[in-house]
Amino acid sequence: MQAVILAAGEGKRVRPLTRNRPKAMIPVANRPIIEYVIDALLKNGIRDIIVVVGYRKEQVTRFLNGLDVPIEVVVQNKQLGTAHALQCAESKIQGDFLVLPGDNYIDPQSIGRIKDIPSAILVKEHPNPSNFGVVLLNNSLVTDIIEKPEHAPSFMVSTGIYSLRKSFFSSVRGNDITDAIPALIAAGEQIRAVPADDWQDAIFAWDLLKMNRRLLKNLPMARQGTASRQTIIQGPVSIGKGTTIGPNTVITGPVVIGNDCTIGPNCCIMPNTSIGSRVTIEPFTLLGDTIIMDDTSVGSHSRIVSAVVGERCVLADHTSVCTAPGLMDIEGCTIKSEFGAIIGDNVVSSPFSVYQNSLIGNNVTIENQEHISSRNIPDDAMVI
Amino acid sequence: MCGIVGYIGRREAAPLIVEGLKKLEYRGYDSFGVATLENGIHLAKYQGRISEKAGTASQLKGKIGIGHTRWATHGVPNDTNAHPHTDCTGTVAVVHNGIIENYAELKRDLQSRGHTFRSETDTEVIVHLIEDEHIQKKDLLASVQAVIPRLKGSFAILVIAAGEEKIIAARYASPLVIGIGDGEFFAASDMTPVIEHTERAIFLEDGDIVSLSKKKMEIFHNGKPVSRQVELIDWSLEDVKKGGFAHYMLKEIYEQPQAFYNTIRSVSRETLPAMVREAQTVTVVACGSSYHSGFIFKYLLEASCGIPVRLEFASEFKYYTPPISGLVIGITQSGETADTLTALKAAKASGCKTLAITNVLGSSVTRLADITLYMRAGPEISVAATKSFIAQLAVLMQIANSLADTPHDDMLLQAHKAIEVVLLMDLADAVSVCKDAQSIFYVGRGPFYAVSLEGALKMKEISYIHAEGYAAGELKHGPFALLSPETPVIALCMPGETYGVMVSNIKEMKARGAPVIAVGAEGDRELPDIADIFIAVPKSLPLVQILTSLVVEQLLAYHTAVALGRDVDKPRNLAKSVTVE
Repeated sequence: MQAVILAAGEGKRVRPLTRNRPKAMIPVANRPIIEYVIDALLKNGIRDIIVVVGYRKEQVTRFLNGLDVPIEVVVQNKQLGTAHALQCAESKIQGDFLVLPGDNYIDPQSIGRIKDIPSAILVKEHPNPSNFGVVLLNNSLVTDIIEKPEHAPSFMVSTGIYSLRKSFFSSVRGNDITDAIPALIAAGEQIRAVPADDWQDAIFAWDLLKMNRRLLKNLPMARQGTASRQTIIQGPVSIGKGTTIGPNTVITGPVVIGNDCTIGPNCCIMPNTSIGSRVTIEPFTLLGDTIIMDDTSVGSHSRIVSAVVGERCVLADHTSVCTAPGLMDIEGCTIKSEFGAIIGDNVVSSPFSVYQNSLIGNNVTIENQEHISSRNIPDDAMVI
Repeated sequence: MCGIVGYIGRREAAPLIVEGLKKLEYRGYDSFGVATLENGIHLAKYQGRISEKAGTASQLKGKIGIGHTRWATHGVPNDTNAHPHTDCTGTVAVVHNGIIENYAELKRDLQSRGHTFRSETDTEVIVHLIEDEHIQKKDLLASVQAVIPRLKGSFAILVIAAGEEKIIAARYASPLVIGIGDGEFFAASDMTPVIEHTERAIFLEDGDIVSLSKKKMEIFHNGKPVSRQVELIDWSLEDVKKGGFAHYMLKEIYEQPQAFYNTIRSVSRETLPAMVREAQTVTVVACGSSYHSGFIFKYLLEASCGIPVRLEFASEFKYYTPPISGLVIGITQSGETADTLTALKAAKASGCKTLAITNVLGSSVTRLADITLYMRAGPEISVAATKSFIAQLAVLMQIANSLADTPHDDMLLQAHKAIEVVLLMDLADAVSVCKDAQSIFYVGRGPFYAVSLEGALKMKEISYIHAEGYAAGELKHGPFALLSPETPVIALCMPGETYGVMVSNIKEMKARGAPVIAVGAEGDRELPDIADIFIAVPKSLPLVQILTSLVVEQLLAYHTAVALGRDVDKPRNLAKSVTVE
């Protein structure tokens, strides 16, 4: 059995986090989303894996190189759509195959359920179906797919995970796989809808926090590094090699901390927090419900809750990030949102900055104790 | 990382295994060995490259065999430590890829029961454990099955024993594939050694134990027979090893942040040898890119510590009077560069202390020099040095930093971040200017002069465009006559003491009509106006800007060479390591 993972698209709605990596490479619970997909395939004994890369392809390829299993990489030079991406891998496909998006989490059991059915699609009920391809069913057979409808006739959506025959390629119309499905049905193919157990997509950047909470639940416990004897660690906590945790730090799991970090003394890491590698958390700082990526440092006396912070950021002392509801303009749509902050890569923010419900672009510099609430600050800006 | 290969079938095993090991050289190449089975076990193992000593190994008799190529990370590479390892009686042989974490306690236990260990490797415990079981059970498969649960860590192993016509393979958390041919089986770390013989392969799961005989294959998991799906593989060899990158060079360029960080962490003030700390004068001998890293080191060490540094091409060293005291540093990626070896020998003969900086554990230079510091770059395949160069600089920068009065530990530990940022940059404009040029000039001042030399070397090596690096001030003493609209100039113009005079140099070159590509720091207000193309690297201290501007030059050379359709990884007329004078 072969599997094609689509990881060429940028994921525009997750900007600014996707400027330096495609959505599939965003770390959730300290592993890029695509790694969970690969893992789920391997658990089902599927080892012939092809990954279609495009946007920021070097970043994806370098990561795939570091994996133990050999993975074939195919390049899609222009990101025209999912069916086009799949066509880039057509010459490598020999028979029935699976297609999976590289930027959605999927559990191994669901893949086990679909892999032996030659023409099928994994579906799942979703409270906001209009962001997805809505699937219409008749006795678990698909009758139609409507891509991102304004008024969804059903809550059943496509997970983007298909089991297809090689002959699928002759039915491709347009650039997306969903466009080809009605043609396939019209040609008499019976496409079965198979329910998925656990499937997670982050449509907007703040949805990553929910995905993080979910994936931290499966956290394998691994404690390396050195923790001071006065550290209090409760619940599932994973600490990487070379990390040092200073005295009087309290860590309440689920929490994952990468390699070579310096944390504390006197810090408080609350549940649902993922901290990458080589991160510095200065004394008297509280983190909770947050993703901090590699090489970032957070100053002392800060409180960071409900935030995604990119790589190589420097947040100075007394930074505060707290949750607030608001409206966000994403790709021309106004979306209701409730989160603290999404901060891109290389952001430098001065002491006493306060963030609520805001998107901060890459390479942004924030000066003078700004209070940033419900704002979307573009890449490379300077806030004075 | 190491590579393993096994063969059982109708053909002579040794030549097939040696060929297979050559294909796995990208996983490591500091020592190798082969064991075959015919009326007992025949063993040949050597330190060094497979290509050099393969002859004797491929003459071993037998149609069953296993082989190993090693990349030592701890424990020196020598003939004894090379795999395969045999037991006390010489009836069982094992090759192993991975790490046995509980080997120390197993070893103590085995020694107390009278086993003699010949090597310092963790692998040898496996073979003695199997020996014990084999004496009782008289069956290799059952013996391996009994031993595997006692091993902690990661492993892919292949085992043969005298008197049994089979290979037993097992894996846990290290890669292993079984190739299925016609009346023959292969086992290997990945598909590269197998693919020219068969397309049918089985990827084993963690915990699988396989028994391969000439006729059949049986797979066991937790003691029960299982079946695994046979897959058809249609990759080409090169694809597998490059892991999806178009060229090794690009792969290695993208590995640089990691290589730099790992190397910085591996050298520290505390572990720095006394002879380096106490050196009153330093001489650096090197060739090619290594010479340029030595050149950068000269600027850094003289500026930060006031220690005079003499820098010589290794090939010219013998024509000078050698220094009679002080420290001589030889820099060579491969550890086999003939000129550098000769120069170090001369230095030693005249009574100097010698330090080697190399990427290959146990290479010739490590035996010659008094002390060796390693670059943690991992195997480098592309002829043009990239990650090994950055790793050399990491060693040298850490030496200069450790000796300096005002150390910059934090900055060095953070420098990989800036390299990562450069890897995200788009250089298409600059590439389009360079690819049509007949000649390109690289200019800089201070350490950036040395960086210019390296940039020009990279461009020459892989794009075949004539390129020269000049100290910006020297340009007016002759080379200025060559400037014209057809000769792009790449000017390294970083903030600092050289900035003002570099800007006026750029203006002079512009006045002669040469298109100028300026590499400067982010937020520079002047350069975007005066240069035709401005490439901004992250604003940082000079040490980091040396690294970032280097990576810009590497990427520029790479993309220019690709645009011209050059064979990037194997440029014409060049070899990876130059082992003749």
